[in-house]
Amino acid sequence: MALLEIKNLKKVYTARFSNQQTEALSTVNFSVEKGEFVSIMGESGSGKTTLLNIISTLDEATGGEVYLDGKPLSNIKDKEISAFRRNTLGFVFQDFNLLDNFTIKDNILLPLVLSKTPVAEMEERLIPIVRKLGIEAHINKYPYEVSGGQKQRVAVARALITQPKIILADEPTGALDSKASQNLMEILKGINETGQTILMVTHSTRAASFSSRVLFIRDGSVYHEIYRGEQTSDEFMERISQSLTVLSSRGGKDE
Amino acid sequence: MNNRFFTSLAVRNIKSNQQLYVPYLLSSTAIITMFYLMSSLLTNKFVQERSSVLPTLFAMGTIVIGIFSFIFILYINSFLIKRRKKEIGLYGILGLEKKHVAKILFFETLITTFVSIAGALIVGQVFGRLFFMLLNYLLRLPTDINYSTSPMTALITAGLFAGVFAITYLYNVSQFTFANPIKLLKGKKEGEKEPKGSILLFILSLVLLGWGYGISLTIADPLSAISKFFLAVLLVIMGTYLLFITGSIYILKALKKNKRIYYRPGPFISISGMLYRMKQNAVGLANICILASMVIIAVSTTVTIFVGTEETLENRFPKENNMTLNGTDLSQEELNTQFVGLQGKFHEEAQKIELKVTDMESYRYLTVFGNLEGNRLVFEEGFPAANVPLYIQVLLLEDFNEMAGKQIELSNGEALYYHSKGALNQQNIVIGDQEFKLKEADYDFGGEAAIVTTMVLIVPELSQIEMISEIYQQELPQANPASIDAFIGWNTDGTNAQKKALGKQMKQLSSASESLSFESREAFREEWYSMNGGFLFLGIFLGLLFTIGTVLITYFKQVSEGFDDREKFQIMQKVGLDKDMIHESTRSQIVWMFLLPIVTATIHVIFAYPIVRKMLTVFGVTSEITWLLSFTGVVIAFGAIYWMIYRITSRVYYSIVK
Ligand SMILES: Nc1ncnc2c1ncn2[C@@H]1O[C@H](COP(=O)(O)OP(=O)(O)OP(=O)(O)O)[C@@H](O)[C@H]1O
Ligand SMILES: [Mg+2]
Repeated sequence: MALLEIKNLKKVYTARFSNQQTEALSTVNFSVEKGEFVSIMGESGSGKTTLLNIISTLDEATGGEVYLDGKPLSNIKDKEISAFRRNTLGFVFQDFNLLDNFTIKDNILLPLVLSKTPVAEMEERLIPIVRKLGIEAHINKYPYEVSGGQKQRVAVARALITQPKIILADEPTGALDSKASQNLMEILKGINETGQTILMVTHSTRAASFSSRVLFIRDGSVYHEIYRGEQTSDEFMERISQSLTVLSSRGGKDE
Repeated sequence: MNNRFFTSLAVRNIKSNQQLYVPYLLSSTAIITMFYLMSSLLTNKFVQERSSVLPTLFAMGTIVIGIFSFIFILYINSFLIKRRKKEIGLYGILGLEKKHVAKILFFETLITTFVSIAGALIVGQVFGRLFFMLLNYLLRLPTDINYSTSPMTALITAGLFAGVFAITYLYNVSQFTFANPIKLLKGKKEGEKEPKGSILLFILSLVLLGWGYGISLTIADPLSAISKFFLAVLLVIMGTYLLFITGSIYILKALKKNKRIYYRPGPFISISGMLYRMKQNAVGLANICILASMVIIAVSTTVTIFVGTEETLENRFPKENNMTLNGTDLSQEELNTQFVGLQGKFHEEAQKIELKVTDMESYRYLTVFGNLEGNRLVFEEGFPAANVPLYIQVLLLEDFNEMAGKQIELSNGEALYYHSKGALNQQNIVIGDQEFKLKEADYDFGGEAAIVTTMVLIVPELSQIEMISEIYQQELPQANPASIDAFIGWNTDGTNAQKKALGKQMKQLSSASESLSFESREAFREEWYSMNGGFLFLGIFLGLLFTIGTVLITYFKQVSEGFDDREKFQIMQKVGLDKDMIHESTRSQIVWMFLLPIVTATIHVIFAYPIVRKMLTVFGVTSEITWLLSFTGVVIAFGAIYWMIYRITSRVYYSIVK
């Protein structure tokens, strides 16, 4: 059974002051196995963020269903949704979403504090993660005192610390330069190799080349996917770019 | 680029920052209104005419409110400017010169200054009148107290606050002139830093508070209480600000260090939030604390004066009817015959209108001033004197026995005494060439109630009183001669109307004679109630004013912090913060936001008790019980009101951040 299964997902936005409707997702179907590292690519406005927000329960679908471990997300009660988000999902956002009133350490511990984890356990979990992400020296600083790349690694640490079933990342390299992006992707890849499932939205072919599978989304549905298989990073990147150019020039949905 | 351009830019900025400017303008208008109303009371007829003490007190009050509003406007301005740093930093990056930015800020300040001052003057006029009307209606005092103000007051208010806003403008400009744009863009993000030398400041705050409290605790007499009260108030206000700034940061840091307390959802969010803006948080709390103290003092003292009116009347007029026979122009025999004759006459007069004398007190007495030096009594002239001397009454044993219901006998060289400060060490007292062996009189003359220290001497013979009077004359030939006078006070049965009628009759009787003067408690009662009702009126008015101030400050604090925190809560919700926890984090601020200011205010007021009590004796209130009851009542009532304010405003906060 797949860890994450998405069936006929549909999302229609209705504008606030008119009846104009935008179909952000028409029918999305795909699944993610445990331990996979899946990238989602697509043009701006194709519905990637919408998809990710529905999976992360930040937004509700108009139709269809998301199953995690075989359980439909729409069955989760309102009261449990925050705890679900805290304990089962990890988030990495494009604009980091760190809090300036907390130190780096407290930012990372935030989800654990919200889950009322004992202090000793929190600290036990913290040390190996910050060491692995190379931010050990900064844990007592504040977010506005570290670089963008470091901030994003903090965000990754915050996502990891709850030992989530899946990490959801929306353009994690979007605000980083190429060197910091490279570094972050290597870290994500390393994490994936320890068995962590990751679902990432990205515009960057280089970033996508670190994953094991790439899904292409257009006009609200998945229309193509490629597996990395035994290819090297560079070969895989080459294929991703080819797919993008071919697919975008062809236009339409005739897969 | 002309002024028109900058004005329209300024207007647009204010409009687009509505969320910040609406609470800002509301709060600054309210605080200026408060000052305006307070200073209008200075020229109020009641304040001017009731007591010479009142104009001084209100002048002090106006100065205190002035200082307070200055700090308050700086405080709300700092909120505003901090949140606008990014926007203004952007101007710099977009290529606007610093002098242009300063010009935009200038027009913004000009507009806010005009709006809040004009608003305050209008609101003040309307609010003042309405509240005076309402209070007159509610209290139904015999005479209404009218609201009045003068163009001068309005002018002073406008001028003062134009100055205050000018200072905020200079502060804001300096913030931008000395900072680079990148720093400004980050401006909102950086947390506040702990003030330098906070240990020293902490000690200073304790010194200031200790000094202020010390003044109150060591105050000797009511007359100096009034002038020193002002100094004490200023010291305590400064001390409070420093204490909250340094103390709260220290406590918050200690809480943060304690992992068991800190790493729980509620405290985690609230402690980090308060540390992030530690100074603003502290100043906000200090503001609330100071206003709370002012409410409690204003209301509890005036309630005490009002509730204590009956007691004050009794202190001032021991009996319903009080006749004094002035002995200056009378010989000893004349005094004695009149003294006895009058007593009989008063019984008859009462009988004429079918009343019965139920209780009569009469004595002959001599009043002199002096000081005890060892066991020698050195005479001094009475008021005005630099050091208020001892107030001495000399009574006749015969009268005292009658009054106290005793049968004490004294031999010739003996005297009984009473001293308001308790038993004396001396065994005897020397007055001129006379010496008396002293025995304490076991009787309460109520001297503790008096404004000055009092001593009573009781001697067996009228001739001895005469002698003391002569010695006084010899020692102070230039002073007014001290005469032996007589007092006759009595109560009767009957209704209030009958008593009043008797009072009128007696008044007539006394006006027939040069040496008689008469006062009826009943005749004064109404006058006193209307006077003290006036105090109550002012007290309630000020209490309301300060309470509204508290409402606005708390509201401003919650709203502006709510907007500050909104983004944070949104991020936290993304990573799994649920609504219950937002509640929990606002709840864990209760102790802090609610209890801290109220408890500190209560401590302030407890320490203010001695000095306030001394001041109240000027108005004739002496009962501790009345004071304690009204004080406790006011603290509890204000606590309840502030609790409601707190609950409502934290709901506002919650609805902003959720
Ligand atoms: N809250 C909303 N209300 C209405 N329409 C929305 C809303 N959010 C997104 N949309 C629309 O839905 C479509 C998909 O948006 P989405 O944000 O998912 O795109 P995206 O693939 O993430 O784009 P990008 O790569 O630029 O981030 C767009 O046409 C967008 O305008
Ligand atoms: Mg997007």
